[in-house]
Amino acid sequence: MTQSVDPSVYLSDLQKNQKGIIRQCSATGMLKQKLLSMGFIPGAEIIVLRNAPLRDPIEIGIHDCLVSIRRSEAALLKVEMSC
Amino acid sequence: MLKVALAGQPNCGKSTIFNMLSGVNQHVANYPGVTVDKKSATLKFQGEHIEIVDLPGTYSFSTYSLEEMVAKTFLLDEGTDVIVNVVDASSLRRNLYLTFQLLELGKPMVMLLNMMDIAERRELEIDIDKLSKMLNIPIIETVGTKRGGKKKEILEAISQAGKVTIAEPFKIDYMEFENFIAKIEEMISYESTISKRWLAIKALEADKVILEKVNISKDTIKDITSNIHAKYDLDVDQTFARVRYDSADVVYHKCVKEKNQDLDTLTAKVDRIILNKWLAFPVLGLIIYLIYQLSIVWGYELTNYTWPLLATLKNWAITVLPPPELNNVPMITDFGIWMINSAIALLNYVPIFFILFALIAILEDVGYMPRMAFILDRVFRKFGLHGQSTLPLVLGGAFVGGCAVPGIMATKGIADDRARLATILTVPYMNCLAKVPFYTLLLGAFFKEDMGLMMFFISTVTLFIALIVARLTTSTVLQNRETAPFIMELPTYHLPTFSGVILRATQRVWLYIKKVMTIVLAVAVVLFVLLQFPGVSAEKNIEFSQQMDKALVQFDKKVQKSKYYEHIDEASEVSALINLYDSYKSQRMLAGSKAAVASLDAAFLAKSPELFPLVRPQDKDAKKVGKAARKLSKANKKLQIAIKNEKITNSFLGMFGRALEPLTQYAGFDWRINVAFLSSFAARESAVATLGSIYEKGKSHLSPEESLAQDGAYTPVHAASMLLFMILTPPCIATMVVVKLQSNSYRWMLFAIFFPTSLGVILSLSFFSMALQFNWSGIELMRNFYLSAATLTLILSLFKTKQSGWQVGKSQ
Ligand SMILES: Nc1nc2c(ncn2[C@@H]2O[C@H](COP(=O)(O)OP(=O)(O)O)[C@@H](O)[C@H]2O)c(=O)[nH]1
Ligand SMILES: [Mg+2]
Repeated sequence: MTQSVDPSVYLSDLQKNQKGIIRQCSATGMLKQKLLSMGFIPGAEIIVLRNAPLRDPIEIGIHDCLVSIRRSEAALLKVEMSC
Repeated sequence: MLKVALAGQPNCGKSTIFNMLSGVNQHVANYPGVTVDKKSATLKFQGEHIEIVDLPGTYSFSTYSLEEMVAKTFLLDEGTDVIVNVVDASSLRRNLYLTFQLLELGKPMVMLLNMMDIAERRELEIDIDKLSKMLNIPIIETVGTKRGGKKKEILEAISQAGKVTIAEPFKIDYMEFENFIAKIEEMISYESTISKRWLAIKALEADKVILEKVNISKDTIKDITSNIHAKYDLDVDQTFARVRYDSADVVYHKCVKEKNQDLDTLTAKVDRIILNKWLAFPVLGLIIYLIYQLSIVWGYELTNYTWPLLATLKNWAITVLPPPELNNVPMITDFGIWMINSAIALLNYVPIFFILFALIAILEDVGYMPRMAFILDRVFRKFGLHGQSTLPLVLGGAFVGGCAVPGIMATKGIADDRARLATILTVPYMNCLAKVPFYTLLLGAFFKEDMGLMMFFISTVTLFIALIVARLTTSTVLQNRETAPFIMELPTYHLPTFSGVILRATQRVWLYIKKVMTIVLAVAVVLFVLLQFPGVSAEKNIEFSQQMDKALVQFDKKVQKSKYYEHIDEASEVSALINLYDSYKSQRMLAGSKAAVASLDAAFLAKSPELFPLVRPQDKDAKKVGKAARKLSKANKKLQIAIKNEKITNSFLGMFGRALEPLTQYAGFDWRINVAFLSSFAARESAVATLGSIYEKGKSHLSPEESLAQDGAYTPVHAASMLLFMILTPPCIATMVVVKLQSNSYRWMLFAIFFPTSLGVILSLSFFSMALQFNWSGIELMRNFYLSAATLTLILSLFKTKQSGWQVGKSQ
């Protein structure tokens, strides 16, 4: 697995099976609320499970749940990669 | 009466529990002003009435999605006595997030820890007692799908909880925020059964609904939040969410032991196939093909068996209606038959709908729907639609034929309001099953050689048109509709329950019958009037009577010498004979077996001992009369068709059709075509029926195709133009009704009528004129139309949409 030290990657940059911890969310309004209610809060562990067959959206594992999110929305979440 | 609200996150098994508690005595309605289903049931337990409401599933109460608004408003306003929180035990941690917010409401609560079977399979050991103590509420473990369940235990707990008053509501320590919450609490004077603390928390979250309720201005809250931000560098919403999740984590770790750390669940295994890069599309195709095959194809075959039932109904109606006296058909009889025909044309689709609705319910319960959206989102997003638009479009008729009604009804689950409306407005462009007879009629008449190619054009061009329309509407009239972020849970796969599926399919079919039938019948009345009046002119009437008299004289001549003559020497007797002949013939067609025929014969003989032997002749003399009767019946039918034709020609609808002719002639439609299209609005079938009867002209040896082709008025170019219009033609009334139901607005309904009609008129006008100009053949016309649609679709898909990401729509 890749061990990255660069902390400022976005969720949309993660490859399949890469894990990370959410650090910051720059979404606002309803999108922010939706993200929060699905558990996308700073400190939450996430794993990218797969891309959709057409590459977008992506499937994320978070809090033992499977969530699909578009790349454009994943690009608003800053994550710190872990392996 | 004890009022109970079932609340929980989506897919936790709420509806299953609700079904278990209420059985079939459910009441389905809408929440006021929105199209969200409200299911409620009243039951009696130990002498006490309990009303249970199945709230829509929500993850929290702060996103303003339709479901959350409904649930929140309900909990705030309806004076709920007890909240039953259904929790998915297999994802307890996330579910607790909502549980905390429900607990904070300060109402008596019972927790149902559902999906215990899955929790066990995943080897999660949950300490129920501890959890119950920590949350201070009774907890019952359930498996919603198991028969029998724990109905009594649950109701017992509910009624116990109803007797409790909460002294000190459950509290989460929001640390830095506590001061501010207390301060806001003091500002609230609003009295309700809801805990003040909950209202204060929601107010601090700047919840629009709550702020209005407790009469605190947005600015006050803004001041407080910017104060917090300056002092602690904390974002209010994020902090609330984080504290709740952290608390859930604490409770979870204290109460649950994960014995098996391996996360490779059954769902993960199945997803590896269903969402696989290479397999996803074949699997999706297979599923869609199966739905199509099972519902449309087999369902259509099933109607072969249900049709006789409907035909029996019609025959019965004919027997109670006053019988016609030869060419004089009483108005009431005409009317009765017209109404019955309109009704059974729709009832005929009930088997198809039932299968469709059941299959949709299965897909919903299993958890495939969000996955379908996941697979296709990228394609549909380009056109302003949503991954979840797939199924509605397929049901609407992505292949040879579907039906817009179930298609539009299946748009319910689409989270994105704009995409949902766009889907509602595009589904009617798909290939309606009832258009197929019309296509085959015209193709048979004008494109015998190239039927396959034309059918290919017709059935695939619809998808292009739908996509173009979706793109057009979403970037114009729907531009300001709210869109939702595409953040969607892919739920754990669940086996649906048989009773749950059947119940839901039945409820939807019933809704269809109730809502659609009444309106279709009302419109049928209007159409009847428009087609019947002002009626046939006096001179024409005399002419028809003379023709009838001539036929009667001929009949009389032929049977004069028979020994049965005394039974048929008066006009009324002849009329009775012809009616008997006709009714026997139509009922005989339904009688399959020999025994059935024998009993039918016996019944007829008993009813008309004198005339029936002439209808079913045994001796030579009777045969002669029978033959003459057949001839007279034929002549009579021919005459009735002529009268009907004359009536349509003279009718208001006929006048309207002629009034449109100056415009529609440029599309190649004469008034007769116009009338057919106008009447097709009631139900598509009637386009063929009307066209058929206008052209029937009594030449019974010709098929409708042949008489159309030989009429001489039309060329294949005309036909292609008609086909083009039919492809775009406005949806039938049944569809209109569901458009109104699902969009909750008459404006969209009217839009759904007039937009396609205008589009149809404009396009058939332009393509017909171009065809004349450039000497295209009918096929060339169709081909060029097809290529234009395909090209436009391609161009639109290359253009980047503004809305490709998520954007905030106009706020309410
Ligand atoms: N294995 C299992 N499946 C369940 C249980 N309860 C419900 N289901 C299934 O879970 C799916 C979703 O249930 P539903 O009641 O529609 O959830 P809702 O969204 O909360 O109304 C259905 O397929 C049910 O058959 C349970 O206790 N165990
Ligand atoms: Mg439900």
